[in-house]
Amino acid sequence: MDFLIQLFTDPVAFWNSHTLLISQIGINSILASSMFVVLYSGQLSLAAPGFMAIGAYTAVLMDLYWHTPLALNIATGTAFAGVVGVAVGLPVLRLRGVFLAIATIGFIEALSLGVILNLPITGEGLGLKNPNADPLGGINIVLVSLAVVVFLLWRLTKGRLGYAWTAIRQDELAAQSQGIDVARYKLIAFVVSALLAGFAGGAESHLNFFVDPNEYGVPRTVQVLTFAVLGGSGNVLGPVVGALFLTTLPYVFQQAGDYIGVVSGAILIAVIIFRPQGIVGRGGFAFVRPRWWPRAQVRAPSTR
Amino acid sequence: MRRHFGGVHAVDGVTLEVEKGSIQGLIGPNGAGKTTLVNVITGYVPFQSGHAWLESDELTGLPAHRIAGLGISRTFQNIRLFKDLTALENVLIGMHTRRRDDTLAQIATLPMFRRDQRSRLDDARGLMETVGLAASDIAGRAAGTLPYGDQRRLEIARALALRPRLLILDEPAAGMNPSEKQGIRELIERLNEDGLTILLIDHDMRLVMGVCKRVAVLDFGRKIAEGTPAEVSIDAGVIKAYLGSGSERVVTSAPGASAAGDTELAGEGSAARPAVEPQKAILEIEDLTVSYGPVNAVRGASLRVATGEVVALIGANGAGKSTILNTLSGLIRPDSGTAVFDRLDLTRAKPSTIVRHGLIQVPEGREILARQTVLENLELATWGRRDGSAKRTQIEAVMKRFPILGERRALRAGTLSGGEQQMLAIARGLLARPRLLLLDEPSLGLAPQMVDEVFKAIQEIHDEGTTILLVEQNALRALEIADRAYVLETGQIRLSGTGEDLLHNPAVRRAYLGG
Amino acid sequence: MGQQILNAIFIGSIYALFAVGYTLVFGVLDILNLAHSAVFMLGAAVTYTLVVNHGQSFWLACVLAIVAAAFMGLVIEYICLRPLRRRRAPPIAALISTIGLALIIVAAIEQGRPGTLFAWLWVDGANPVTMPPGTFPNPTWHVAGLTLEGSKLAVVPVSIALMLVLGYVMRFTQVGRGLRAVAENPRAARLMGIDVDRLISLTLVISSALGGLAGILFGVALGGISPYIGRDSVEVRGLAVIVLGGMGSIPGAVLGGYLLGFIEVLAVVLLGSNVRAGVAFAALFLMLVLRPQGLFGAQLRERI
Repeated sequence: MDFLIQLFTDPVAFWNSHTLLISQIGINSILASSMFVVLYSGQLSLAAPGFMAIGAYTAVLMDLYWHTPLALNIATGTAFAGVVGVAVGLPVLRLRGVFLAIATIGFIEALSLGVILNLPITGEGLGLKNPNADPLGGINIVLVSLAVVVFLLWRLTKGRLGYAWTAIRQDELAAQSQGIDVARYKLIAFVVSALLAGFAGGAESHLNFFVDPNEYGVPRTVQVLTFAVLGGSGNVLGPVVGALFLTTLPYVFQQAGDYIGVVSGAILIAVIIFRPQGIVGRGGFAFVRPRWWPRAQVRAPSTR
Repeated sequence: MRRHFGGVHAVDGVTLEVEKGSIQGLIGPNGAGKTTLVNVITGYVPFQSGHAWLESDELTGLPAHRIAGLGISRTFQNIRLFKDLTALENVLIGMHTRRRDDTLAQIATLPMFRRDQRSRLDDARGLMETVGLAASDIAGRAAGTLPYGDQRRLEIARALALRPRLLILDEPAAGMNPSEKQGIRELIERLNEDGLTILLIDHDMRLVMGVCKRVAVLDFGRKIAEGTPAEVSIDAGVIKAYLGSGSERVVTSAPGASAAGDTELAGEGSAARPAVEPQKAILEIEDLTVSYGPVNAVRGASLRVATGEVVALIGANGAGKSTILNTLSGLIRPDSGTAVFDRLDLTRAKPSTIVRHGLIQVPEGREILARQTVLENLELATWGRRDGSAKRTQIEAVMKRFPILGERRALRAGTLSGGEQQMLAIARGLLARPRLLLLDEPSLGLAPQMVDEVFKAIQEIHDEGTTILLVEQNALRALEIADRAYVLETGQIRLSGTGEDLLHNPAVRRAYLGG
Repeated sequence: MGQQILNAIFIGSIYALFAVGYTLVFGVLDILNLAHSAVFMLGAAVTYTLVVNHGQSFWLACVLAIVAAAFMGLVIEYICLRPLRRRRAPPIAALISTIGLALIIVAAIEQGRPGTLFAWLWVDGANPVTMPPGTFPNPTWHVAGLTLEGSKLAVVPVSIALMLVLGYVMRFTQVGRGLRAVAENPRAARLMGIDVDRLISLTLVISSALGGLAGILFGVALGGISPYIGRDSVEVRGLAVIVLGGMGSIPGAVLGGYLLGFIEVLAVVLLGSNVRAGVAFAALFLMLVLRPQGLFGAQLRERI
């Protein structure tokens, strides 16, 4: 509770004492948004940590060997993740449902255990030191880019692309009958997701003095999936809320202390059973909206 | 506008041409291959041979989304709306192919985009009004929550949003009551007057005969007739395909010679004598109402079956026959009404309890376990029985009775032919020791001689004393062996009487052919 | 080399035993039960606790641990699966609810320290522990330059015997036919009078008991029991096994288990120990992309 009390009574001190936490929330939100894009288009891809790793290692290695500027490093890491996203997405997206999920798990494990642990340049499992990291200053980059990401996704979901993704998620066959090229839009979603994860990885590496290869495995992907599902994947704000909620949970319920894992597992089960659309439903916070509040409508000029 | 087919699986060498600006009808009994044909044209099922063109564009081998892009738009037999999206969003998605890629404009939120969006919204609302939906009321509601008739209309609006050159409607009036059907009919005519070419597929001859200039008839994947509605409706082959291959006596005495579309026959329908309902019934259904979400599949049906009877339940596709059987088996729970089988409340009991009580269903489409052997299927049918040795002897007896099952006992059931699978399904039903056997469409999709075999088996089972409730599309055959029958139309019992009475009742033909 | 082959057979047996339970649930329900690895871990942990902290005999502890694992199967069914099945939720929902349960189980063990709520269940927190020597007979032979440990040797016949029993039950008994009927067509199974819910509960009980037993064998033979052995050692490898063998196929899972054991050992011999896990996941990924039905899927899938 101290956590919440400080947040409301002394926001400045809160900001200063929780900078790292807030940055981590931002990173987690971007990751959850990356998961959101694939879920929004009806695909259960768990590849996010793999693309994160690509973004992170690319950015840090560029800094170590070429001393290039941060922005270029992160941008290159992001782009590289996108390229790998195309290469992985093309063969993998023929698979559906749990098969896609398993294939993407295979990808991240093969990448982290097979490649990263064995290349001398990535430190062979010992990780990489990143002396130029800026744990406190990174917060600005993270929060600004989170705002940009959420805005972009919000706009994308409102456009032709978003409608196509929604249609595919709801019913692939019906989507085809409306002339939507399912394979193409699935690939776009997969690559956008890869770009976001790559960016989050690059940004996160800037917050830590050490790149830990063990960060990019299955537990991470489970965590990210949890953010997106708990928050809800029908609305761009869902994953952000999910990441915010789960990242701060240990601080808010400090008295739950060591049992936080038990509590969050129970919350996850409760949400998937009782509120499958997530905390934030498609139409927004239907859960907390008072009954007199107007329903979310598709805004449109009145027909004369 | 031409399309040709040859040797497609389930559709065999069909050639069909749709004249630009016309409404072409395509009819045929269940399992005739109508929907398969549509799926081939629209790219969902690959061609095995043959070709299709839309004006000068070849469709053969294109994926579904390209075909839609060329201007063929369709609805689905079992409504495939985007259920969680609003009605308006459904129509907006339909505009995909004629909407420019506006990703950049979206991100920049340019005014130009706003203008586009406004015109699209107007357009979508206009389309909803065109198909008869009050856009201002339902535009913001999730499609899945709309009433059934509105969902059908919305699906048509979504198809129209594509601005198609050819609109394919797959059973647009299935499960609708007569006034709703009339509304759909008017809608189709109105769309056609605006210049749209339509291919209409339906079971309901009344609808097809009413609006189409030309009608093609499919049976067993082949085109058996084509012509004007009047020509087709007096075609002996068509009547046989529809009313079923009854014995010769019935076919000649059936009112097949009088022209369909002759609505005056309706008056004679009421001439059927009231049903002689048995006093002591083993199965009693009272005022049963069942719905799937917004769809009312059965509305207040009542019927009785007494021990030793064969009772037929007939009616067109979507009339609610299978829904009643599934409710009796405990797979669906009714909204209201009672169903009691020998003091067991079927609206509450678990499916397994119902089976143990002796009410056994042989389901539509047979639902044999294709991956297990014939013998394993039979052994499973004795689930819940504790009489080990009696089970064995009965399995042996059943395999003697249906020798084909004995011969193929070690084969996987999926390798049997359709008729053999039906025999297996019936044999399985018998092994569960039924006191009442529910048979759902046992002749569905079978060749005529197999139909004979199946009905012979049903007759024998009845002669041995098993009570049977028979659901059939093949009305003539069902009425021939039934003691009594009920005619179901859009979820309500319209007629009942002895099998003999109904067999000669023109209203029965009406319920089927929509004459 | 001989030692390596022995290792492959030993670890392959554990993979196979674990994966058989995984694949059984997938075959019958089309659901990936991600709590399976937590049950695996629980089997090992409960055995250890009963022996070391509660002074029970080793054999009694094994029996009780299997009972506990089987009970977890019922928990999975009643809490994570049945409510979703009633709602006809997509299989992905079950994936997430079982992740939630896995989080709870792992967190409970992780937090088990003297003085906490879960102290009766576990007292070593996140630390790996090993059964004290002498808990169970472990004769060791040296034959032709090979070291044969009784505890490891015992794993092989126990696993093979259990898998044969399971195969027999599935193939030749009425219950097995019933399970295959539920797998193929639950509706038809209902109409034949089969109590589908009860058979699904039974499936989960069998699967979890096998998973728990695999955990016991793993803990006894390899030691290093910690809350993470399920997650790190078998969770994703189990996926690889059932994909290699064909999802839902029991013989496929057995063959896949040994195949993975050999692939890993071969990778260690040829490429060094670092690549061991990576090679397995690369195989998983390639298999899904090239032949999603698995090596033996085409023929064996139908036998479950």
